[in-house]
Amino acid sequence: MTLQVERVDEVVAALRTVLADDQILTSRADRLNRSRVPAPFPVHRWAERMPDLAVLPTSTEQVAGVLRIANDLRVPVVPRDGGTGLTDGAVPLRGGIVVDVKRMNQVKEIDLENRTATVGTGINMLKLNEQLAAHGLIYPDDPASYPCSLVGGRIGTSGWSLIGSRYGHTRDLVLSFDHVLPTGEVLHVGDGIGHKISKSSSGYQLKHLFMGHQGTLGIATEATLKLYPKPEAELSPFWAFDDYDAAYRCVGALARAGVATFAGAVLFDEWKVAYLRRDDEAYIPQPRDVRALVCAVLYGYEDEVRVGGKRLFRIARDHGARYLGDEISEGDWAARHDRYATPLHGRTKDGQVVPMSWHCEDAAVNYTRVPAVSRAWHEIVADLRRKTDVFDDWGMFAYTSADTGVDYLTEIDVGIWEQQLDDRAWGLWVRAKRDIAAAALAHDGSISACHGSCREGEVDLVPYELGRGFDVMLDVKRAVDPNNIMNPGKYLLDRAYPAEEAP
Amino acid sequence: MTQIDDPEQADDALAVPFTPGMRDNPAQLSEYVETIAGEPLPLADVTATPEQELAAEWRNAAYNCFSSGHKFCREVCPVTQVTRNESWTPTAFHANVVAMEQGQLSVADVAADYVNCTQCGACELRCPNTLFTGDFYRFRTRTVDVVKAVRALAVDQGVHQEGWRTWNARTDQLTHEPVLGDTPVSQEHVRDWSAGLDLPIGGPTVLFVDCEAAFYRTSVPRAVAQVLQLAGVEFGLMGEQWCCGGPAAEMGYVEQARRFARHNLDSWRSTGTTRVLVLDPHDYISFTEDYPRYFGEEYADIEVVLVVELLAELLREGRLTPSVPVERTITYHDPCRLNKRKGIWREPREVLRAIPGLTFHDVDRVTQWSYCSGGGGGLPIEKPELTEQIAAGRVDKAAALGVDTLVSACPWSERPLAGAGEAVGIDVVDIHELLALSLGIDVGGTTNGGAP
Repeated sequence: MTLQVERVDEVVAALRTVLADDQILTSRADRLNRSRVPAPFPVHRWAERMPDLAVLPTSTEQVAGVLRIANDLRVPVVPRDGGTGLTDGAVPLRGGIVVDVKRMNQVKEIDLENRTATVGTGINMLKLNEQLAAHGLIYPDDPASYPCSLVGGRIGTSGWSLIGSRYGHTRDLVLSFDHVLPTGEVLHVGDGIGHKISKSSSGYQLKHLFMGHQGTLGIATEATLKLYPKPEAELSPFWAFDDYDAAYRCVGALARAGVATFAGAVLFDEWKVAYLRRDDEAYIPQPRDVRALVCAVLYGYEDEVRVGGKRLFRIARDHGARYLGDEISEGDWAARHDRYATPLHGRTKDGQVVPMSWHCEDAAVNYTRVPAVSRAWHEIVADLRRKTDVFDDWGMFAYTSADTGVDYLTEIDVGIWEQQLDDRAWGLWVRAKRDIAAAALAHDGSISACHGSCREGEVDLVPYELGRGFDVMLDVKRAVDPNNIMNPGKYLLDRAYPAEEAP
Repeated sequence: MTQIDDPEQADDALAVPFTPGMRDNPAQLSEYVETIAGEPLPLADVTATPEQELAAEWRNAAYNCFSSGHKFCREVCPVTQVTRNESWTPTAFHANVVAMEQGQLSVADVAADYVNCTQCGACELRCPNTLFTGDFYRFRTRTVDVVKAVRALAVDQGVHQEGWRTWNARTDQLTHEPVLGDTPVSQEHVRDWSAGLDLPIGGPTVLFVDCEAAFYRTSVPRAVAQVLQLAGVEFGLMGEQWCCGGPAAEMGYVEQARRFARHNLDSWRSTGTTRVLVLDPHDYISFTEDYPRYFGEEYADIEVVLVVELLAELLREGRLTPSVPVERTITYHDPCRLNKRKGIWREPREVLRAIPGLTFHDVDRVTQWSYCSGGGGGLPIEKPELTEQIAAGRVDKAAALGVDTLVSACPWSERPLAGAGEAVGIDVVDIHELLALSLGIDVGGTTNGGAP
């Protein structure tokens, strides 16, 4: 659904009162390139996801101006940061204005005494850390998309970090931020009103409400972040196991050990190892009895990492682990952002190479339920493959979310042959996604630990997951966004409005 | 309501992990009936458009990027870093090909977007597809070639960028690029830089001097020629040198590029030349990538030698011994076409480390993937303001190291970098000039297109 040409002209004319001409993009290519993210995407229906225009604001005031205009004119607004999300928060469903914040990428302040940085939300974490390195500091928010995702997107999706078991996740690392409401008003959200307060008990805790909303409640524009000393030492052992059960028992023991420098552990299941044997130089030569892997990572000062590492090695050995050596351990961890999902690893069942896109379905699952959820998910993908080679099973990871080992980000990686996508294939996929979410819920998990749950298929189950909480979501949405202009169509939030008022 | 209980576990070949393509996989894997995938989906229209013909050639390359969606290329792209415009990213350049295949875009819709690329190659290296399937499949993402192909299609369809059209028309007229300087650009003056050096014409080995160095920064070829003379390397100048044709190829003027290449090859043949010394990284790309594509076997006996590699060899062999201390605090700018496109980064450092007196604050080559002068791919002709911003960013990185001099090995980078350097008090010097200085050579020539 897009605007009529005359309406676009009207919107552009209004936007020119707050933006320069080169900040308003209306060409077809500008719009096509802001209508997709790496999340599962019906590429054969690309044009249906196009916005009517995109804007590139450079300040909170400009974002506020754009939202005021959109609210007055009742035009949908979709915020876009890195556009690297694995749910489709940044994909417009009803046309409108994409607010692309990439130009708001300045470092406003580095406070060495209080250990904070204040940045525009369009900055990338790697680029920020290049600047922080000069001060021996780090902002340890480390998603798979670390080299390209932006701080604002991390806030909008309430992101998950690979090393969150030691440093916390985005919600813990972002102390406060400026947030533009759908009406164009600006508020500051944090703990209390403070910019650099890590714990307040004053009033409602609004920070969490304005994180992870997938752009349905407004746009974060400037954030104050918690900084840590850049770790002196990193230890990232990879261990091999004869079978999944042994690896599973080991990862649980490692996570429960309570080692202070423990930053996370990852379990690779048998499907993942089979996937890596397709063409991974590290794993093809491994003997056949290597069927599952565990990696753990520790960060800190050298003396504390050394001692903590010894303890974890002892635990691993007691669980039948075989250390894969320094080269694989250091190399694989260093390459963690690049290594595991490339289109060229796509295969038909009989081994033909076809370019496939990577789709990662995640859930938050308790340790005790990980094996059951894994079995259920592989069966769902196997069922897709019984019908067609459009889908491929790239195996599963389970990552610790917390320092106690209570729950895991459980993900199944699915290759999709996008060149062959049509409505039938897309329909199968949407159903599979719903089944994947349902399996996580059936095992007392949450639909997503990391990406969000607003995509076609899984989103149907959000009201079941949240129960009465979903009604509260509707009430909040209506109160904050009276005209449903922010990212309409996402999270079933249209239900907050009488049918005729939805734009 | 969808299923909530565990699905029943099936008992077939797909219920257990396997690696597709292994010899001992169960036969059952080939017995499933395919219900969806077939041949690649037909193009949107049976009478293919020129855009769809391009897409037919590049569709798999484009999907390899489109499907990946990682976008790790973005923060290393020099243009993206300064414009922060997602339409001008390596990802968009591939995605547009998919959109053209679908009939969503015409080349006229996107031609101007493809201006925003210096063809530095950073995106190709940073691509996870290159990094993690490169060794195994000998695979490399080919953004630069995609950009060149779309630019060529635009020209072919009569969609011109005004600055490029004029530039190439004037190049065609002058047989050299119309670089601005006091020396008039013309065939009569292409050897003016060598005044007083007494260089022969032709012979088995010639020194090819790019347009910027021949007419604007003449100190570079003068330094190269005199250092080579000092080392006893025998070489001449070309009988009739034209522009290498590379810039035309980069901007999409394919026919002109080939015509210029033909002329140069014919000229080498007429002087019995089989060995070409190249001081400019852009020429080096033309001679090692474009010319072999144009001429195939006919070109097989031409040896192309990059001067900075030759100099490193001469230093190693003791045929050059720099002894005059050069008291400067420097850092080195890895030219994109050497470091990112050709993997050449050791030899320039070898040369610099041989120069006495230098304090060298080096920045590793991988960090420099995200550095660029903004001088390549025709960007300065169409968008000088972007070149200026990119160069300023590069010089700022040097300034943060506390150096007084930024050394480059690419004449085309030196003009934008020198402009940016002036603002922060950083001198931009060519590596060949610096080496000549430490060999006691009075280089002469000009570094800014002015009178020597």
